Amino acid sequence: MFQYTLRRILIALPAIFGVIVVVFAMVRLAPGDPAVMLAGEFADQATIERIRERFGLDRSMPEQFLTFVSNLAQGDLGRSTRTNRLVTEDLAQFFPNTLELALGAILVALAIGIPAGMLSAIKRNTWVDAAVTFVALLGVSMPVFWFGLLAILFFSVELGWFPVAGRGSFAHLVLPAITLGVSSTAIIARMTRSSMLEVLDQDYVRTARAKGVQARSLIAKHALRNALVPVVTIGGLEFGRLLAGAVLTETVFTWPGVGRLLVDSILARDYPVVQGAVLVIAISFILVNLLVDLVYGVIDPRIRYD
Amino acid sequence: MKRLARIGFVLLAALTLTAWASAQNLVIAQGTDAVTLDAHDVTDSPTASIVSHMYETLFELMPDGSIEPHLAESYEVSDDSTVWTINLREGVTFHDGTPMTAEVVKGSMDRFLDPDNAFTFRFLLDRIDEVVVTGPLQIELRLATPFAPLLAHLTHNTTAIVLPSAVEEYGEAFGENPVGTGPFQLENWDRGSRIDMVTYENYWGDVPAIDGVSFLAVPENTTRMALVESGEAHVAVRVPPQDIARLNAAPDITVENVSSLRTIYMYFNHTLEPFDDVRVRQAFNYAVDKQEIAEFVLGGAVRPSDAAIAPGIFGYTDVGEYEYDPERARELLAEAGFEDGLSTTLYSPSGRYLQDIQITEAIQSQLAEVGIDATIETLEWSAYLDKTREPAGENDVPVALLGWGTVTGDADYGLYALFHTSQHVPDGSNRAFYSNPVVDDLLDEARVTPDPSVRESLYADALQIVRDDAPWLFLHSETQLVAVNDAVEGLVIHPTERVLAWNVTVSE
Repeated sequence: MFQYTLRRILIALPAIFGVIVVVFAMVRLAPGDPAVMLAGEFADQATIERIRERFGLDRSMPEQFLTFVSNLAQGDLGRSTRTNRLVTEDLAQFFPNTLELALGAILVALAIGIPAGMLSAIKRNTWVDAAVTFVALLGVSMPVFWFGLLAILFFSVELGWFPVAGRGSFAHLVLPAITLGVSSTAIIARMTRSSMLEVLDQDYVRTARAKGVQARSLIAKHALRNALVPVVTIGGLEFGRLLAGAVLTETVFTWPGVGRLLVDSILARDYPVVQGAVLVIAISFILVNLLVDLVYGVIDPRIRYD
Repeated sequence: MKRLARIGFVLLAALTLTAWASAQNLVIAQGTDAVTLDAHDVTDSPTASIVSHMYETLFELMPDGSIEPHLAESYEVSDDSTVWTINLREGVTFHDGTPMTAEVVKGSMDRFLDPDNAFTFRFLLDRIDEVVVTGPLQIELRLATPFAPLLAHLTHNTTAIVLPSAVEEYGEAFGENPVGTGPFQLENWDRGSRIDMVTYENYWGDVPAIDGVSFLAVPENTTRMALVESGEAHVAVRVPPQDIARLNAAPDITVENVSSLRTIYMYFNHTLEPFDDVRVRQAFNYAVDKQEIAEFVLGGAVRPSDAAIAPGIFGYTDVGEYEYDPERARELLAEAGFEDGLSTTLYSPSGRYLQDIQITEAIQSQLAEVGIDATIETLEWSAYLDKTREPAGENDVPVALLGWGTVTGDADYGLYALFHTSQHVPDGSNRAFYSNPVVDDLLDEARVTPDPSVRESLYADALQIVRDDAPWLFLHSETQLVAVNDAVEGLVIHPTERVLAWNVTVSE
């Protein structure tokens, strides 16, 4: 298992390097110039030149790349051209916030999605199943932006139950986590349902049922565990997506996460921050996937790593 | 034991509640977080609002357009207008206790002027050759040539006095560790989310009545308005025009409408046909109904332009709107050889200025009525700035929407960079490639003339010529829409697009 983990991490390194190269090139090929952005409508050429020089943007692209990679090897991601802050400091501040939000959202999704999917599978083709399917469809198709704003207007402005925006207490997390988790909840519920149905049709389940195992224990002990493998896969992928794709929720709820940092930096052509944020997101995505693969073995002992 | 804990808990809860109730903290919701808290490095107005609570300038531009000494106490100008002697206020201290002296002020100005620091607004003061300390509380600003707008430029928030020893101490991190002389000092900066400031008890002027002020960064309009509606914030800036009526209907909220120094216009690229023809440019001006746009696209929240700069700026004169006259527009187009109409492209940002793309769409449909077939091109802001500042010959943007905030309150800043021949992009900001030697002379002269009344008449002449040359499709000056809770008194919504809480009181 240790060897497997190590091998997976080694395999991930070229992927991460690829991400670095692509992002480095992409931000620079996009039209727009960080120096012009900084100087704004008020810019004169001399000021722009000075700003370029200040951030080393007057040097050639290969030269900039070499500097970037050699600094990266020392754990230095450079300074933001917009705020002059160390990129590593920015990420250390923003990434945990995103992690907190994504964890909240995936917990919401698992806590609601799995029971709902099971219920739907057990009560197959009844009104319960139809209702769960309908709500799930609604959840997937609802724009995050719209759902979040409605939640604010109803639960915060009308009822005053939760704060409108910002981060801090547990109450601050509730609405953003639900908003971000809605579509994942729906996907996990659908996945659980179909996976559960498949398992319930298996021979061993039929055998168990024939020898008189109680329905409750049958579902919990025999069916669920096997049905969960694909759910874990989807859950992991969803979690990775939530880490990278929380920008809309972060914007609606003023959540200071890495998604908003990334979008703001792209708009300002803040190259060092864009590079750093994408790097962190890519690494966390790879780690989550690795974790999912390791969890398989825990759920299903037949899966071996060698 | 359990009981004791319970009593303790109740006590603690009661204590926090009273503390919360008695602390008067003003909460202001803006669209974005501060970029930096280094006063010299600020380039955007939300950051300027925040920084203006912690730092102060030598002179202050009052909301009515007058200029008052602030950290300066008085000043004198030599007969040849090249030496400005400034006497500094006594008893001013920085947040760390350091007293403000002439040495400190010189250090701050030298830092601002150092080309290596590459501050965007350095050009405001770059006419100063040398800052000389002539007494414990007296400095001299020495200029090579007279520069009349200097006083106005010394009111700009980026010229604020920072503490040089703190700059030295914190180095690159000074932007996170601000040390100024302002009535509030930084308590906490939760990046991307909020900035909390507490009152500076040893402030030289009137110590604020509130205990602190917080700025929240809330990019989404609906969320920002919801914060004021739920009472979590006292103030929310940039109210969307469609929300004005709803917010005003709430019992405890008023939407303030304060004019801004920002003018919105579309410029014509004079290097491209047919915009080298004044008749075509004037035809565009007659073809667009500015009143209708102001009313229906912007909810009445703007003021149609009757000059290239907004009222409230020194040097402004009403030189007359282009009245809506589609008939006259058609005549002028026919005279210029376009009786069958013409087609062109309107460039527009989307989301940069209040309702910008909606304004461009309204203009497009009004132009169609006089036979001008315009297509709209929008670019993301960074690409937009880049494309519109290409040099003549390469620049193929014919017509583009932009805004300009004359944040010094002096016409020089509003006119020189936009209309002087020496300022054609990419060297300056004259994106229209407008050039008129008479205007150049007037602007040059107004720069070096000390007498304000003479300057005013020079600018009036320049504005009149610019109006008749029609290098722009003149649109409107913006107003700032700010939702304010009725419990708040004394909030200043400054024409320079800053919200200032210096003199605020909050009633229970």
